[in-house]
Amino acid sequence: MGFLSPWFLTGLAALGVPVFVHLLRKHVTTPRPVSSLMFFERGIQSSTRHKRLRYLVLFALRAALVLLVVLAFAAPFIRRPASDANGRLFLIVLDKSFSMRAGTRFADAKRQALATLAAKPHAQKAQVLALGGQLEMLTQPISDQAQLRSALESIQPGDGRANFGELGRSIRTMSETVKTPIDLHLFSDMQRTAMPANFADMVFPPNVTLTLHAEAKGTAPPNWTIERLSAPPELSDPKDPKRSHVQAVVAGFGTPAVEKTLSLLVNGKSIASRKVNVPANGRITVDFAPIDVGYGFNRCEIKIEGSDAFPADDASIFVIRRSDPERVLFVHASNDTRSALYFGAALEATGQTSFVLQSVSAEQTTDLDPSKYAFVVLSDAVTLPSIFEHALAQFVSKGGSVLMTLGTNAGRHARIPLWGADAKDVHDYARTIGAATVSQVDFTYPALLQEQPERDNGGWAEAKFFYAASVDPGQARVAARLNDGTPLLLDKQQGEGHILLFTSGFENLTNDLPLHPVFVSFVDKAARYLSGRERLTGSQVVDSFVQLRSNAAPIGEVASVEVIDPDGKRPLSLGEARTVQTYQLRRAGFYQVRYANGRDAAIGVNPDRRESDLQPMADDVQQLWSGSGNTAPPQSSSANVTDEAKYRRVNLWWYVMLFALAVALAETVLASSYMATQREEA
Amino acid sequence: MQRFLDPVVLAGISSLDLLAKTVVDGFVAGLHRSPDFGFSQEFAEYRAYVPGDDLRHVDWNLFARTERCYLKRYRGETNSQLTVLLDASNSMRYTSGPPPKMDYARFVAASILYLAIHNQRDAAGLIVFDDEVREYIRPSRRQGQLTRLFAGLENAEPRARTNFGGPLEHFQALLHRRGLAIVISDFYEDPEVIVRTIEPLRFHGNDVVLFHILDPQELRPELKGPAILVDLETDREIEVIPEYTKTTYRTKIDSHIEQLRSRVQGAGMDYHLLLTNQPLDSALREYLSLRKAAN
Repeated sequence: MGFLSPWFLTGLAALGVPVFVHLLRKHVTTPRPVSSLMFFERGIQSSTRHKRLRYLVLFALRAALVLLVVLAFAAPFIRRPASDANGRLFLIVLDKSFSMRAGTRFADAKRQALATLAAKPHAQKAQVLALGGQLEMLTQPISDQAQLRSALESIQPGDGRANFGELGRSIRTMSETVKTPIDLHLFSDMQRTAMPANFADMVFPPNVTLTLHAEAKGTAPPNWTIERLSAPPELSDPKDPKRSHVQAVVAGFGTPAVEKTLSLLVNGKSIASRKVNVPANGRITVDFAPIDVGYGFNRCEIKIEGSDAFPADDASIFVIRRSDPERVLFVHASNDTRSALYFGAALEATGQTSFVLQSVSAEQTTDLDPSKYAFVVLSDAVTLPSIFEHALAQFVSKGGSVLMTLGTNAGRHARIPLWGADAKDVHDYARTIGAATVSQVDFTYPALLQEQPERDNGGWAEAKFFYAASVDPGQARVAARLNDGTPLLLDKQQGEGHILLFTSGFENLTNDLPLHPVFVSFVDKAARYLSGRERLTGSQVVDSFVQLRSNAAPIGEVASVEVIDPDGKRPLSLGEARTVQTYQLRRAGFYQVRYANGRDAAIGVNPDRRESDLQPMADDVQQLWSGSGNTAPPQSSSANVTDEAKYRRVNLWWYVMLFALAVALAETVLASSYMATQREEA
Repeated sequence: MQRFLDPVVLAGISSLDLLAKTVVDGFVAGLHRSPDFGFSQEFAEYRAYVPGDDLRHVDWNLFARTERCYLKRYRGETNSQLTVLLDASNSMRYTSGPPPKMDYARFVAASILYLAIHNQRDAAGLIVFDDEVREYIRPSRRQGQLTRLFAGLENAEPRARTNFGGPLEHFQALLHRRGLAIVISDFYEDPEVIVRTIEPLRFHGNDVVLFHILDPQELRPELKGPAILVDLETDREIEVIPEYTKTTYRTKIDSHIEQLRSRVQGAGMDYHLLLTNQPLDSALREYLSLRKAAN
């Protein structure tokens, strides 16, 4: 038993009040004169006896009342065993991440988990979870041993990456709903790379007792893997030395220096091999060039010959699509010839994609069909033939994309074709503040994507803008803004397609952006984004998502998507194929995807290469996590946590207060009865 | 006028003279004149002579003038002697609220004396006693008698103990003439002793009335808890519990009163219990009824 607020116990001094009143205070009796004592007799009940007998109960009640009120404020509690075994949830978490495929790790872990499950009390409820790319709950908390065993046996090794931080978050969420204490048994290889950046993310709440069943101990076995891969997703000319090459980085974990042979396989046929000397625990880059691939999707694979401790990660797959260069329609104003030059030069400078720019003036677009182009650029072309504008609208609604720029013509024609809104105003910075700069850039936006932008806003801060149109963003996404808040780059979705609006021009008059390196990067990424090629080919990591259709439902049309997994099966039902927007690539291998806009894609999916580092967590970290170690401060807290988990604190103040109320009532009744007696005597 | 007889109101009047006048006037105003006729000097009426009437009462002067026989009639009148014996022992000092027993006894005595002298023209005297006769004012109808009596009452401060046996001889010596004797006391004594002491007064032809003055608290004492009681006469202290006063004491005091009343009336005397919260008219009424009976 203990007290949550023991300082209130000092209030016990108040017990002296009833003690003083009833026991210590002397009855100061003033002699009362009477005419004669002729008829009086000495009382047979002495005053002391009177006090002791008559008011003893009242004194006891008053003392008890004070005692109970003080106790109630001190908030007493008792510790009861948190619960018996039947009151605890037995949680079995089996790691099925990609690294568990190494050796017999998964089989050992599953066998050990089954043994642990068999050893638990039959009446105790248990739940089976699988830790892969995400935490999967395979059962509800049940005590059916057969069902639990079946769920455990159904777990197969996956290709996802385990994340103990994700596990910690999920268990913390679970503990908020499951009030009973949790005994968590984790069967894993305790991979170091599965730890989150912040250790606190993987700490469990106090009512969870973690028991680690590490399948890998000591030093990790040597393992080589292809850590990174760089290959062109699109290739138009296999003999082009700039584009037709594949670059792979071979990394060794806990490995000695050794010579390795790498093979490049295209559609199952080995077309090239390289011998490289991989340094101890090091990395080496290998180039394959040129790449001889046929038209269409080519399923490629780079493989490390010879086996190691973890053969599953020795190969890395990707897809190269060979096609003729796609055309890009560049529509410019009749008086603007510079923008096509700058845009075409930037498009040519990019090595990843192959586009052919077709530049026409706005007046020449009458007979053009936009659907024959990868995407369309409207450079300051605010006046378009109505038939072409209509064709463009249809093109966009069916999944095509248009990039529009607003040059000086925007000041004369407020209407912006396709956009659905007019330019509110134009800012001529050259006449006011000289020049505006880009202050805000959304680097998560695909056309501006930069993983680690420099301090100069990823190069955007260098560009000076002298002229820009002011457009109400409305529902559009603002990807970049000038320093006066004017939106610079907006993205609006219409149907299945996108319209990008650049509120300045590409002609090197309204700004000097075409002269900066960031322009090439922007054009490259924007071209890939607008053509939709970034999601058509290449390689992805397991558990990443592909967007199958746009967020906005197509108007008047429900198009089906199709996904074929590495086994050649269709994981989506017909209903899902008509409604699902994204699909998670949960397995390694080649996926075939048909998007809602009718485009086909082939994607090579590789496991996260952090799974290839088989080095387990240090023992002290494991002990710190499970709270079973003997090291200093965290251990004491974890001991407390264990103690808290073992015992349940039952607060008694409510009962004490209730009892005090009853005593107060009894005291009131008793004291009132005494007073009533005195009144009757009177 | 009744409220002027309320002891609480009277306690606020310092002058006994005024007090007695207030009481008696208020009391008399509520009475009807007595229809009895007697032999006093106060003329009442003429009545025609009828055979059998005493010829001594014929008004011969009127017969000489009118040749008719009329009898002259006078208001009834007696020459009673009233003696008030006032107990001035310490026990009379007791009070639970105004007025104290002593004051109440003074009010009673003063009112009766005033009524006797002023209205009834009786000779009135006063004996103040405790364990001895402290003051004696001879009964008289002389001018200034009332003032002397009131002065005697004013000086009658309670002290010493009551002892009926001691002053007995003096009573008998002083009350040698037939009259009315009123004893005012709280009578904290054995009824046998009281009667045996006072009874001899009766033998001299006196009509004896005992006015038993008690405080209401003496009849029904209130104790909220155990209390120490001290005797005003002996200073003796005892501890008493409320239960006793609620039960046994009441029985005892009631028994005492009843016994005293019975013994006194058995001895041919009158007994009247006066509580200090009662109006004074009952005492005056008792006096008048006794006086009438005496005539």
